Amino acid sequence: MQRKSRGLRALEPLVWVGPAVVLIALVVIWPVVEMIRSSFLKISRFGVVQGSNGTANYEKLFAEPDFGSVMWRSLIWVVAVVGLTVLISLGLAQLFNQRFPGRKIARWALIAPWAASVLMTAIVFKWMLDPEVGMINMVLRDLGLIDALGGASADPLGDASTAMPWLIFVAVFVSVPFTTYALMAGLATIPGDVYEAARMDGAAKWRTYWSITLPLLRPALTVAALINIMNVFNSFPIIWAMTHGQPGYSTATSTIFMYILKNANIGESAAMSVVNFGMVIILTAIFLKVSRWKTEVA
Amino acid sequence: MNKRLTGAALGLAAALVLTSCGADAGGAPADDKAEGGPVTLKMVAADYGDGPGKPNSGETFWKAIVDEFQAANPNIKVEVQVINWNDIDKQVATMVQNGQVPDILQTGDYSGFVKDGLLHKVDEIVSPNVQQDLLTKFAEYGKVDGAAYGLPFVSSARGLFYNKDLFEKAGIAEPPKTWDELKAAAEKLKKAGVSQPFGLPLGQEEAQGESYLWFLGAGGGYKDAAGKWAINSPQNVEAFTYLKGMVDAGLTTPNPGTKDRKKVWEDFAAGKVGMVNGGPMSIPIFDAGSVKDKYGVVPVAGKTGALDTTLGVMDWIMAFNKNGHPAEIKKFFDFFYTGDAVQKIVDTYKLLPVTNGGIEKLSGDEKLKPFLDALPNASFYPFTDPKWSEVSTAVKQTIGGAAKDPAKVLGDLQKVAETG
Repeated sequence: MQRKSRGLRALEPLVWVGPAVVLIALVVIWPVVEMIRSSFLKISRFGVVQGSNGTANYEKLFAEPDFGSVMWRSLIWVVAVVGLTVLISLGLAQLFNQRFPGRKIARWALIAPWAASVLMTAIVFKWMLDPEVGMINMVLRDLGLIDALGGASADPLGDASTAMPWLIFVAVFVSVPFTTYALMAGLATIPGDVYEAARMDGAAKWRTYWSITLPLLRPALTVAALINIMNVFNSFPIIWAMTHGQPGYSTATSTIFMYILKNANIGESAAMSVVNFGMVIILTAIFLKVSRWKTEVA
Repeated sequence: MNKRLTGAALGLAAALVLTSCGADAGGAPADDKAEGGPVTLKMVAADYGDGPGKPNSGETFWKAIVDEFQAANPNIKVEVQVINWNDIDKQVATMVQNGQVPDILQTGDYSGFVKDGLLHKVDEIVSPNVQQDLLTKFAEYGKVDGAAYGLPFVSSARGLFYNKDLFEKAGIAEPPKTWDELKAAAEKLKKAGVSQPFGLPLGQEEAQGESYLWFLGAGGGYKDAAGKWAINSPQNVEAFTYLKGMVDAGLTTPNPGTKDRKKVWEDFAAGKVGMVNGGPMSIPIFDAGSVKDKYGVVPVAGKTGALDTTLGVMDWIMAFNKNGHPAEIKKFFDFFYTGDAVQKIVDTYKLLPVTNGGIEKLSGDEKLKPFLDALPNASFYPFTDPKWSEVSTAVKQTIGGAAKDPAKVLGDLQKVAETG
């Protein structure tokens, strides 16, 4: 064993990291390479590769009349959903961190929207908002807020101005459980004596929260928000199941737009994927910069 | 740091090796034919049923056909892979991209494979008597530059379904033939408390079909007589101006640009819709609802009179030439078209046959009569135009907006068709 040559020993770690590297190469790097490659190819709808297309796919994509509004909407979508999710989760995490009767049940109940399939949740909400048979519409009618079922007033998903808030609501609804649990885990790591010291110094409740809880929660908050940003940006099932991005493209984000393009032009759709990929990386970088994730918490 | 670099380099190398493998597989011959030995035909088919596990699933249907065929031809095996309609185009595209094409493909279009020389000509894969029995107008669409590559498989047509109970309640004597009559009937239905007098699905699922019926009603279409794109023709704008009036008056499905066909058909089945355009494929949905035996079918209403044409949608079956089994494929296709397989499809899925013989056999069916009558004179999407997939994608997504601003939205769609 001791006499093993230096060269061989240097290779030894490869045996250990090799499988992981191969796995990452296979499921992460390869698809990314293929995606980027496809975005420069001319591919017919039937899958026949007709050679290189230069940057034409990108030119066509950027010239789409709806491209600008779709990208803008994606940004609003991410900011709104992640922002609301984090705010609500901060409150819920605080609440569930207190001792109260039935806390166990309440914590379990919070898991439900997370455990259910996102697609299923979206479909359930679509039906609850159905103009003819939607539960929510029936309640609104019984409360006298809308006059009849079946008409435009009972069709919130039919118009972008009312559909977007509902889509955001559902996205927040399914994102809150994970975020809350991540923040609860963060809260559990804050030692009790810090609070005791604050109390002895006579710090007010808000002051304690602002100066102790939030800063100490930052690692958990950063991770939770980051995972949400990527998830929400790439989120597909909610919008697809509830509106297909319609009317027109007025509720479509870039992920939905990419999927629709796939039916018309595979190369252009691949170009959209690359732009999407770039957007996620940029968003993540900006977020990490802003949240100064590397600075140690005092 | 060094270790990380090694890892990254290794990953990159692995990625490169893998991609080149992928490209290589495309060029490798996939011929499994052994001289004189048994031949396996690979077939990919769309699922007309309700999905895997359901009694009418494509797997069950094809298994019965293939079992019978294999019993008669012990030297030929047929392996069928059934894919649902939402995924089949994308999956087949991936197969083609990777060079792993099936021998037989049954799906919604064939035209894109022709230019690259991937398909057998129809003469090579069916007998002349089968070819002659096909409806002429349908078989014509299977040709590219005079040579036939696609075999019409099954078709569907459209008609106007109306709810007899609701019509009686609203005091409407006859189903409408013209747009004026249709509007008058819708107004009466509305007064009688029907929430959706006319079901208008202009949502993504099949907006290109519903729109086409209205274009035809005004004498328009996707293309003009000379074969040029004419999506914003005065006729089409007139059709959508009429629809705008209907939508604004609350006589249709609300926000039609977001409503899928299936949803509106289900509303009709539940007795909430007075009239709706549908096809033979909607009959099972209606019969499962409360309107069973309480609805009628007539030709689609047009501007000045009922349409003498209809929207015909046909599906295709084709054979790829890569694996070189034309003789075996011919045996299978002849078996399929001359036996009772087509009849079985029609019965199981309420689709329409594409052969004269098939239509004759069905002529006794009252519910199917309006469709069968219209079939030989059907109008089709311009799907052989390479631009069609892009146009239809844009139509599906945006044409609902034409019920608000006809000239602008149809003009934008015309631009999609004309550019590139």
